[in-house]
Amino acid sequence: MRRRARGYTMMEIVVTLAIFGVFLFILVTLTAEMRRNEKKWPVNFFAHPEVGSVLARMRRDIYDSTARPDNFETYNSSPMTLIVYTINDDGTAETVVWDFTTPGEVHRKAFKATMLASEWAAHGLPLFTATTESMPSGQEAVRIQATDKEHKLAIDELIVPRPHA
Amino acid sequence: MRRGRGFSLVEVLVALAILAIVITTTIAMFAERTRRLRDASETVLAFQALSNEAEYWRREPFAQIDKADNQTFKSDLDILKPLTPYATEVKVDSPRTDMRNVTLTIRWAKREAHLGIARADTGGSGLW
Repeated sequence: MRRRARGYTMMEIVVTLAIFGVFLFILVTLTAEMRRNEKKWPVNFFAHPEVGSVLARMRRDIYDSTARPDNFETYNSSPMTLIVYTINDDGTAETVVWDFTTPGEVHRKAFKATMLASEWAAHGLPLFTATTESMPSGQEAVRIQATDKEHKLAIDELIVPRPHA
Repeated sequence: MRRGRGFSLVEVLVALAILAIVITTTIAMFAERTRRLRDASETVLAFQALSNEAEYWRREPFAQIDKADNQTFKSDLDILKPLTPYATEVKVDSPRTDMRNVTLTIRWAKREAHLGIARADTGGSGLW
């Protein structure tokens, strides 16, 4: 029998759309689950070069520090301001202020005596804080933490100054 | 000769099946990428916690290291919150009387991360 030239029947369209609809529903459900899971995780800041350079510089300042003054010039030590008295490559010492008070920025200011010797700033960063923590040896460690925009803890690092004779 | 007409139901279904395979493969690729990124994030979090814990164990008095009631994690483990539920374990081996090998382990989901440190008895000199 000769088939008529025609479009689809209602049944054909319904069957086709139903099959594709079920397929799409499964896919959307799966991807929604994936997205929900992703939100549990803080941003992996270790992949960010700026964060890496801040942490590397901060580690070195703290490892080589001999003291952490409560205040220096106009700065007072707080979770948003880390002050360390640290030793340089050439054997001289300087006071370094790490200023986390500007959201998204970290400023490192190094002072020789009271003169500003160098200033460095990094941008596009998480919110850093620095607190102290007592170790079993009696040493005071600096605990560096950083949270992402959703306030999830993404960086938590204990840095203990090297013992100085 | 074929008549000028629309596609048959079979043709449309075959086309949709091909499209479904393409979409599924693409989504599967993204799912795998997401899984690997999540694994990397988990590892980064676990090793931050292990590294902090190791700082404590490096400074634990030598005589205290292998005390059975001392073998728990001592550092703040806030960073591990996304891995909940997780378990921690401290294992201490004594290959020599003046040596302790401390292995720190974090287990979560079906994964685990270890960090080992060796401590030598330096007579309380503060060197480690």
